[in-house]
Amino acid sequence: MLILVTGGSGSGKSAFAEDRVLSLGEAKRIYIATMHPFDQESFKRIERHRKMRAGKGFDTVECYTGLKDVKISEDSVVLLECMSNLTANEMFEENGAHQKTVEEILAGVQRLKETARHVVIVTNEIFSDGVTFEEEMNIYLKYLGEINQAVAKMADEAVEVVYGIPVYLKKMDNNK
Amino acid sequence: MEMIIGGAYQGKTEYAKKEYPDLIWGEGSSLSREELFAAEGVLNFHEFIRREIKAGREVSDLAEALIRKNPKVVLVSQEVGYGVVPIDAFDRKYREAVGRVCTRLAAYSHKVTRVACGIGMVIKND
Repeated sequence: MLILVTGGSGSGKSAFAEDRVLSLGEAKRIYIATMHPFDQESFKRIERHRKMRAGKGFDTVECYTGLKDVKISEDSVVLLECMSNLTANEMFEENGAHQKTVEEILAGVQRLKETARHVVIVTNEIFSDGVTFEEEMNIYLKYLGEINQAVAKMADEAVEVVYGIPVYLKKMDNNK
Repeated sequence: MEMIIGGAYQGKTEYAKKEYPDLIWGEGSSLSREELFAAEGVLNFHEFIRREIKAGREVSDLAEALIRKNPKVVLVSQEVGYGVVPIDAFDRKYREAVGRVCTRLAAYSHKVTRVACGIGMVIKND
């Protein structure tokens, strides 16, 4: 099963996604961390997420670029967090996919879906500010928007978390 | 406790006043902590959070204090944090704080309504 979890900043989407993974039963749990720490704030953020995950039995695998090369065993339940970081890494990091960001990431998601027992992907609603950004930012929003749409299409379930409350965009039973 | 949330300029205040015509509303952009704990309803709750952070006060205990002291309050708050992460450190802190406080309060609330285009959608009703 592939589940896409989205939401705004501080919406409780990570906590929801972790609970969703736990609800999928006992398994080898793998957390794919995508945030490349570069300053005090990002270290603190990573620390906060580590504490949240503590005791839930996750093995953490770091993946800043090249999602399709991450080694995943077949019986695992994977939590990937977060698509917005991974997209930025592929776009801007030296060894990233740059113009091929969308294809690269979707190939990685496809591989996860085929390999792991269940996959939960956390992404980010960053599309509703209505401000005109510089060109580079617009390309980033376009890429992440395309990825979110494509992953939601592949997914069995897509859910927006609003202050911890799940609002389902797509559910198993109305799946085509 | 009850929450009415949504983006800016979506008709949250009007919706809230229509739902609760007899409630006395406090204003988040001006009330004190004591007034917040005594209010029947609060408009622009996010502005209260912003003022607290701006004044250098800790808001990590705000949700628990409100649940303890004013468990029946109706809160109207703007949903922020649906855009690109801001460059300004205060803005980042503010939007995340609103999210954390409201997520805790939403877990406690028996009813949460999200207003868009003036239309309320009940997303939680226990």
